[in-house]
Order: sequence, then structure tokens, then C-alpha cells
Amino acid sequence: MPVLPALDIVYWPAVVDFKHDSLKARPDGDILVGFVEGSLRTNEDIENAKLMRNKCQLIISFGSCSCYGNVHGLANQWDIQKAINRKFVGAESITNESPHEPKEHMPGFTDKIVPLDEVIKVDAYISGCPPKPEAIVSAVQFLLGQKPFPMNESAFCADCILNNENCLLEHGKLCFGPITSTGCTLKCTNNGDPCVGCFGPSKSVSNRVGKLNDMITNINQLSSGDKKNLYEFLSLFLNVPLMAGFDLSGDILKQIKIKGEAKTTLTNLPSETEEISSKIMKFLRDNRDFTEISTVCDTCPRIINSNSTMTKVKRDYEGLPNMDDCLIEQGYICMGPVTKAGCGGLCMRVNAPCTGCFGQTEWVADQASRYADVAIKGFNVALSKDELLSQVKDHLGTFQKFTLASNKAYKGGE
Amino acid sequence: MVKEIEVEPVTRLEGHGGLRIVLGDDGKVKDAQFNITSTRFFEKFCEGRYCEHVPRITPRICGICPIPHHLTPTKAVEDAWGVEIPEPAYKLRQLLQNAKQYSSHLLHFYALAAPDFLLGPFADPALRNVVHVINKMPDVGAMALKMMDFGQKLCAEIGGKSVHPISAIVGGMKKPMDEDARDRFLRQVDEQIEFTKKTVDIGLKVVEDYWDVVANVGVVPTYYLGMTKNGVHDIYDGDIRIVTPEGEKIDYDVHNYLDALGEHIPEHSYATHMYYKPAGYPEGIYRANTLAMINAADKMATPLADEALKAFREKIGPISHHTFAYHWARLIETVESIELIKTLLEDPDIVSPDCKTLDVEPKEGVGVGVTEAPRGLLLYNIWSDADGICKKLNLLVATNHNIAGIEKSLMHTAKQVFEDKALEGLKLPDPWIK
Ligand code: SF4
Ligand code: SF4
Ligand code: SF4
Repeated sequence: MPVLPALDIVYWPAVVDFKHDSLKARPDGDILVGFVEGSLRTNEDIENAKLMRNKCQLIISFGSCSCYGNVHGLANQWDIQKAINRKFVGAESITNESPHEPKEHMPGFTDKIVPLDEVIKVDAYISGCPPKPEAIVSAVQFLLGQKPFPMNESAFCADCILNNENCLLEHGKLCFGPITSTGCTLKCTNNGDPCVGCFGPSKSVSNRVGKLNDMITNINQLSSGDKKNLYEFLSLFLNVPLMAGFDLSGDILKQIKIKGEAKTTLTNLPSETEEISSKIMKFLRDNRDFTEISTVCDTCPRIINSNSTMTKVKRDYEGLPNMDDCLIEQGYICMGPVTKAGCGGLCMRVNAPCTGCFGQTEWVADQASRYADVAIKGFNVALSKDELLSQVKDHLGTFQKFTLASNKAYKGGE
Repeated sequence: MVKEIEVEPVTRLEGHGGLRIVLGDDGKVKDAQFNITSTRFFEKFCEGRYCEHVPRITPRICGICPIPHHLTPTKAVEDAWGVEIPEPAYKLRQLLQNAKQYSSHLLHFYALAAPDFLLGPFADPALRNVVHVINKMPDVGAMALKMMDFGQKLCAEIGGKSVHPISAIVGGMKKPMDEDARDRFLRQVDEQIEFTKKTVDIGLKVVEDYWDVVANVGVVPTYYLGMTKNGVHDIYDGDIRIVTPEGEKIDYDVHNYLDALGEHIPEHSYATHMYYKPAGYPEGIYRANTLAMINAADKMATPLADEALKAFREKIGPISHHTFAYHWARLIETVESIELIKTLLEDPDIVSPDCKTLDVEPKEGVGVGVTEAPRGLLLYNIWSDADGICKKLNLLVATNHNIAGIEKSLMHTAKQVFEDKALEGLKLPDPWIK
């Protein structure tokens, strides 16, 4: 709500009175940011997504439905005709003599649910079911550059006491001083720690930028600790709200600049800064299998390695867990360790296990097997992998409730 | 030439839909259709899931009514497995359901309906929205936001999330309310009651101003579908109640819902048309939602709401077919929900740790759960196997109940507008916001 009055909303069927035709009538690329939500179940959903792509400069895939297909993707288990028959022919309450799928003025159904980015190009993702309001606000603030950066002229290296042969970059340590604005009072390098970019970008870059760019170009060779820090860097440096399920395509900065209507700080970055930031974004986006992103466990208040141990898999209706110990260790399947952070650890606070609504941290094909590995390695679990998996009867609904549609290796069936 | 008028999409409606009105050469209305173009097949893909997971899937049916879509399937599974829940759990669920009712009704009143009434139906579409109302009537806007916020925060506190709750589980609730939180809400509840009274005043003034519209446009006799507990208005638990166009009330135990409710699959909408089976289709088309609930109730569950009901009946009579009276009925329900919220918050049971029974065993069985969602009756009929896996699910959701009735009132209103030119003679007040 706080950002609403600042916006000029042109199309939002649930709230604002503009009809479909008014959207069609706009020139292509006329709208700055479009949020596309909902799963793609009908042919009309697909057409609308394409229409939005044409009319909007930036498209945000909004919510776990358009990001991953959400629970609706579980229908991919069957041929679509079976679902149609269940609803329009077989339902117990139907009274028509020969009921059939409605066809008059109806769009028809797609064979399978797919995520939005399989249909149109997507610039940014906000996952979650529902997404956090904070994520929406900070995404809009980010895209519109509403949070000002100090953006002083010179880069932090100018203020750095190590700006000599002791420079951290020269010693192979990742330091963002060359692209970060001067003006901070903390000065991390005083303690020998690298600059993490928290003061935002500078107007010009220091002469050490080439070294930084080299390191980022060879991003795969960074230590795992540094890789993990890249997330933090982006969120501090550009105010990218990564911790709320917000996720960017690699070239969003370029996109903002080319389309150009958003007059934000982001359109005025030095080209080196833009290049480095874009490479980092691209890396994080392309490495969905990058294991070190934060998980729901990182935001969960419960104790891991508690006094409890999983000795058998419990169903959610069994017993009543205590509020302190990790739910896996109390015997329940909690998807926390394989789910992207962003919700703030909501479900565990009301004593319910995570079911994974913010999306997976890795996209390997066999989610059940991966889950068992992660649970057995990181938690008090006194079961073998086979025991754990055989005690779960509904694998798809337990391990891929929200994401089955984005599992490219899955071809249907139970 | 046959002329089609399309409104695509219908705005300020949750879900996707369009209206299509077909006019003949003679200017007569040939057809009025409400085309709902989306459906997601929840009834299919819940098959094969653990029964206790169904309530964690189905809230996604609706971003506006997720709480009933969490509680109702939970009740259905409990029915199928023969599980009794402890009293504190029952009260917590009632509180949760009423918190949702409160915020949802207010959202409907202030964000979806008020723009029409406060700005007038002929205002610039660019301005006919809630943001403009907030900008132009800051006091009312601030109050409205505070009320919705209270309801949403209470939902989040008990449900775990304000949208898509997680706290109900077969056998009860996963957790009692925290005492601190309870105290926090208790401190605010009296102010909320005052706000509700002010909202009712605004509503009644609008009814007064638009009386010509309320009394003359879209007055369509239909059947009504509601729920009562021994005749008393109840949104968490009770029997199905049908009200005939003449005002006769007929009760059905929820397990016999198939005796009362039939589902007609139309050619032109994915939302099916529900009707009262004994009356046949389309004669038995009914409407659900606030007006239906008010028509069904002998009395309201709380004193202020009951007074409001009496005032309503004095003005309109024992049964109302006035489509525009939905707004008034909604306010009566809002009053009941805030009164119940207060009573429940004051009840020590809601912080009692005895919120879940440990005596839960899956068994083969068929269960039915019913609640009244903010948009109408919600019914889950679930089939469980011996392992507690969902074998089959039949769902009657709020929208279905309303679609046929909406079409019927649309047809009626279209005739009034296009044939009788009824709107032209209507007295409309000066808009509050110009
Ligand atoms: S790169 Fe880092 S360590 Fe090197 S001079 Fe700049 S701020 Fe100092
Ligand atoms: S597994 Fe679940 S309960 Fe355990 S720490 Fe992670 S999120 Fe918390
Ligand atoms: S804990 Fe898991 S299921 Fe619950 S909101 Fe967070 S990501 Fe979603």
C-alpha cells in the first residue's frame, strides 16, 4: 500500500477499472513494469502473458504460480483430459444428462502447466505463495530507483588505507572498493576486511576496477564463501531485495537502460559497474543449482541438532511437535533446508513444517532423493535414505508441491 | 443485426471473467452470459495427496478466501476419519474465520464497492478506484485501512500467514494463540467496534442516497443458499439452509448436500451453475453470499448485529431480492464478526495448549465439510482410503454458487437497461467525491 499512491496503475483487473481493450490499444513497450501472476492453465492465460510482454518494458514473474507453476502443476501428472473429465463430467453433483467441457466463448486448456519464463522472456522474479508484500514494495522501489544512493564521485579505494601494495584485490581477495561510493564511516578495510559495497555505487570507478572485473569474469573460481557473499553484495550495493524471493535475470540493468524510461540511478551507473553487477546477477540466475543460497532454515527460529531425532517419518496430523526443536528432528518432513529463503520462516512459527512455497534451492531432477540426502546429512535423522523415502507415500505432493511444473526432467506419471 | 456487448475483463472481481450481453435486432436482450474463463482443477490434482495436505494446497484456490479453503477441507477430513477436535481448537478456528470475514467484507466494501458509490458510476474509470478514494477522503481511507489491517493481522497471527494459512491440522490447531498477541488485539478491539459502527453509518447513508437503485435495479427473486446453526447465523459450522423465493426455509444436513444442490455444466463458463435440485434447472437457481446468509438467518449470533438485522427487515421485509442490498447485508455480517472476535479474544480457551487431539488415525471414509466463506458457502466432499490418501474430491466453491444467480440478475438488469431504459429515469445522488 505505501507505494500505491506514487504509481500510475494502468491495468490491474482486481482493483482498477481498465478494460482489456485499453491494454491492447497501448503502443508496445508503453508500460514500464508489468507484474504477471497466476499459472498458465488456459490458452487465454498464454495470450495475456504475451500481450503483457509486448506492452511492458520490464516483466516481473510474480508469485510461485508464474515462477514455478505452483500446486496447479501437480495436474501435470495426468493427461489434461482426465482433469477436464473429473470436473466437467464426473463430479458427483453434476446433473446434466450428457455433461461435457464448456466450449462456447471459452479459451480451452493447455496440455501442461509451464512456468511463465517458458512462454515469454522474464526480467525479474518474485516467488512465494503469496509473495511477501515487502518484496513487492522493495522490487518496485528497486526498479524505480526510489531508494537513493549517496553516489559520491569517487570510489572507496580513494579512502582506503590499503590503497598500496597491500590492496586486497592484489592479494586475490574479493573487494568491491573500486566501484563503491566513498563516504562511509565504517571503512571495513581499516580492519583488513574487504569492502562489501554497502554504500552503493560511485559515479566513477577506481583504477583497480580491472582487477575486480577479472575476478568476476572468472566467477567460478571464487571461493565458496565469496560466492555466498555475492548475494549480500547485490542486495547492499544495488538495493536488490534478494532475501524475499526476488530474483533477477542477468541483463536487467541493460534492460532498464535501453528501454530508458526509468530515470533511476540504475540508468547512470559507470559502464564497468554495470558490467560487473550484471555478471554477478547472471551468475546467480544461471546457477539455480548453486547450493549456497540461503534456505528457509536460515530464517527459522528452531534448534538444529536438538535433543530430538527422527526415528520414523511422521505425518503432519501425528502428535503435536514442540515449538523449539527442528521439525525434521521431531520426525516431520520439513522442506526448509531445500527451500529458498524469503518468507522469514513463517510456517515453523505456527508449528507447521515448510512445504516449499518459495521454490527450490536446486533444480536437480530427483527432488525426493536430494531431500533425503540433505536431511540425513544436516539433521538428527536415524533413518537410511531408503527408509526415509519409503515412509513417504506421496513423493510428488510432498517434495514438489509447488514446483513440479518447472521440473524439466519430469514427464508425467505418478 | 445482432449486437454483442462485451465487458472484458470484469474488474474489481477476484478471478477472471467477462460479461457478454447479446441484443437482438429489435433491441431486445437475447442472452446475458457471465463467462468465467479460468479453472485450475484442484479437484483432480488433490487426488493422491495425503488428506492432511489437502488443506495446505486448496487455499491457493482463492487469494481472498484462503482461510475457509484451509478450514473447510480440514473439517471434511476430520469428518471422514471420525476425529473430534477440542473446544479451544473450535474457538480458534471460529476466531480465524471471523477475522477473515471482517477484513474481507471491509475490503469488499471499501476497495471494491465504495468507489462506485462514493464517486458515482459515471466517474472517470481512471479515478474510480480505491487509491483515489483514499486520496480524496483521507479520514475514511485511514479508518478503512486500519480496519482491514486489524483483520489481516489477526488472520496472520492465528493462521501463520495472512494469505494461505497453515495452522489448522486434522485434529485441531497446531498452536494456541500467544497471550501477548491476544492482549495486543484485545486492546484494539473496542476501537474496531467503533470503526465498524461508523462504517455502518456510511453504508446506511449510501443505501439512503441510492435507494432508488437499491429498490428498483436488479430486484430478482431467486432461491438462496446459506448456513445456520439451529437457525442462527453461523459462518464456521452448521446446516445448509435453502430459502425459497417466497421466503420458506428448508434445512439440510451437510451430508445430504446432494439432495439439495445440483451442478449444471453450462456451455459458456468454466464456473458451473449451481441450483436447488428439487426445483430443477434453471428455476432452482439460487444466490449465495451475504444477502443469502441474511435471508437464511432467523437471527444473528450477536446483539448489535441482530439489531442491524431487524432494521434491515423493517426497511426491506423478511426476505430481500435486491441485488444491491448485498452491500447492506455485508455490513450486518461485518458487525457480527467484530462482536464475535471480541467475545472470542476474551475467552481464555484460545490461549489454552489443549488445541489438538492426539487421537487421530486415518481410516477409509467419506467426509463433508462446510463453512460460509466471505463470498458464499464452501463445501468439500473428500474420499479417504485406509492410509489417509485422498482418493477423490468434490468441491463446491463460493463462485459457483453465485454465477448462475449473477447471470440471472445480469439478464434482468440488462433488460432493465436496454429495453426499459430504466436507468435513465433513476435518481442518482451527487457523488461524495467529485
Ligand atoms: S580494492 Fe579494496 S583493498 Fe584495494 S584499494 Fe580498493 S578498497 Fe582498498
Ligand atoms: S528443517 Fe524446518 S524446522 Fe528444521 S530448521 Fe529447517 S525450517 Fe526449521
Ligand atoms: S515456511 Fe516454507 S511453505 Fe511456509 S511460507 Fe515459508 S517457504 Fe512457504
